[in-house]
Amino acid sequence: MPTGDAAPDTQPASHAGASSVSYENATKRYDGTDVPAVDGLTLEVPAGDICVLVGPSGCGKTTAMRMVNRMIEMTSGDIKIGGESVRVGDPAKRRREIGYVIQQVGLFPHRTIAQNVAAVPGLLGWKKERIRARTTELLELVGLDPELGDRYPAQLSGGQQQRVGVARALAVDPPVMLMDEPFGAIDPINRERLQNEFLRLQAEIRKTILFVTHDIDEAIKMGDRIAVMREHGRVEQYATPAELLMSPATEFVEDFVGADRALKRLALMRVRDINLWEAPLATPGQPTTEVKSVLYAPEVEVRYPLLVDSAGRPQGWLSERDLRAETVPERADGPLGPVLELDDVMRDALADLLQAGVQYAAVVDRAGAIAGILSVEIISEFLASPDAKNDEYDAVERPLSAERGSDLSGDDERERVEREIDAG
Amino acid sequence: MMSASEWSAKLMPVSAGAAFAHPSLAAVGEVGEGFFKERTEGNLPCQASETHLFCGQWAIDHIDRYVTPTLEQLALVAISVVAGFVIAFALAILGHRVHWLRPPLLAGTGILFAIPSLAFFLLLLPVTGRGNETAIIALTAYTLQIIYRNVVLGLDNVPASARDAARGMGLTSRQILWKVEVPMAVPEIIAGLRIATVSTVAIATLAVFAGGGGLGTQILGEANLKFPTTIVISGVIVILMALLFDAILLIAQRFLTPWRRVRAI
Repeated sequence: MPTGDAAPDTQPASHAGASSVSYENATKRYDGTDVPAVDGLTLEVPAGDICVLVGPSGCGKTTAMRMVNRMIEMTSGDIKIGGESVRVGDPAKRRREIGYVIQQVGLFPHRTIAQNVAAVPGLLGWKKERIRARTTELLELVGLDPELGDRYPAQLSGGQQQRVGVARALAVDPPVMLMDEPFGAIDPINRERLQNEFLRLQAEIRKTILFVTHDIDEAIKMGDRIAVMREHGRVEQYATPAELLMSPATEFVEDFVGADRALKRLALMRVRDINLWEAPLATPGQPTTEVKSVLYAPEVEVRYPLLVDSAGRPQGWLSERDLRAETVPERADGPLGPVLELDDVMRDALADLLQAGVQYAAVVDRAGAIAGILSVEIISEFLASPDAKNDEYDAVERPLSAERGSDLSGDDERERVEREIDAG
Repeated sequence: MMSASEWSAKLMPVSAGAAFAHPSLAAVGEVGEGFFKERTEGNLPCQASETHLFCGQWAIDHIDRYVTPTLEQLALVAISVVAGFVIAFALAILGHRVHWLRPPLLAGTGILFAIPSLAFFLLLLPVTGRGNETAIIALTAYTLQIIYRNVVLGLDNVPASARDAARGMGLTSRQILWKVEVPMAVPEIIAGLRIATVSTVAIATLAVFAGGGGLGTQILGEANLKFPTTIVISGVIVILMALLFDAILLIAQRFLTPWRRVRAI
């Protein structure tokens, strides 16, 4: 599954590409105020990236976002989409080419879901057939049953409503999307799901997205790049999530990112992204002398051998008493303890280790065969190592692909898109 | 039970004061006299009619007498409410767009609403003369306040998020008004129309003072007051008319706002 540079032939037929967004000294000064709400913002968002504007309330992040579709007219400076100034032309017409998603969703309660999704295509005078086909496509894209198209917004849950909000914003396949705390009003469990689904969707559609939030965790999760802002829309640091966590540029950023930023970095990677220890293995019936010799090899860090069955599945840790016998017994003396998987998020893996009160644990692949050993030591060394930054940077892109492979709905979605491409 | 003479004794001061204070109302009284004569000349099945509140047989025999006044009243109500709606709706849109106009608009319609209805009719007479127009002007003026307030309320109640999303998607102000705000305000607008219509049905009975016809012609007058049956019949028709209008508006609302009937989660 290609994630990064999706080849043109795997993209949805309606894909219109993305455009870069660049702020050029953009300033907003409200009448009757001395200090500007946004003061000379300069920011370059590459096409196809999610740029998160994050900061405390009142820092001007929403103002900065709303200047792009001229919901707020800037006082001076400029913003360019794909090189073209947003100041040119009729604002209402421009807005139709920019997706817009807000926290309160703002669905029209008097229109059905399908009519809501069709709002902008309707304004642009699309034919009924085309609107109907597009509506169905979009509802499927955001993981909703197209049957829901005949319902009214009040009949949907908050999470479903925001999916409709996203579908509506994508209706005419805009190259740029503005999202103002889109998942802010959704309960934590559903928020997590929506975030994951949106990342999956974004891997497919590759829009340029300006995403406003005050939640640093959401910023780290969603952003390809993060602009940490403070009062008057001043950007304190503009960097990838990993850079931000690794080397906060200022004290403000450090405070904002939080004391637990080390742990946050772990949320960005999976167990497979780190170099695991090699496990000293033993199989039942094997001479113990052979096992002992492995134990004393210099590259082996674990004092006890791991008993595995013929398929390489961990059975338990052998004790010194087990090794006193001639051959390795069928059953290990010591308990197996927690077993981690390569696809586990590192933060969760660490939590498992700490909760079980162990220093290390076996890591298995999807088939359940031993893949290595993860220890608390590995994790702390990783966090302290200077090249963690680079390792981690790779990791940032990876959770997507791993998640996608293991997620059924993602597969369905991809198959659907591929079928469509095959069909026409 | 109250006898008819007691009834008329109670009501007389009011109707006499109103009816005979203005020369133009003499005609109404004469119509009433006509009734009374007819009744006393022996066409009456109810022997002790003066003591009866309602004489069923007479009602059946003379129901055709009420057709024209009923149609007149229907027309008065329909025209006044439609005219009132058009004016009040336009004012409400104005107030919606230009916020500082709201207090004067509210005060203006409020003053019109506060004028006692009878006084309004009589005050208009020297200006516009006797007739339908006078009645319609007064009745229309009465509907303004209720409809205006409800349209404004309905437009104000549109969630800011829907407006913001609409604007963000590229709807123009006019499109937002007609595609989002007005449709969403329909429940409040119709609620206002229902109150305005029902009250207009009632007040239209007074159109007789302006020479506007309607069921008031069957109520007003000394003779009618001595014969309560005609008052009862007119009253029942007025009530039925109010219920009819209300039902029509309710059906219209159900038809216009299917989204209000869905069960929310």
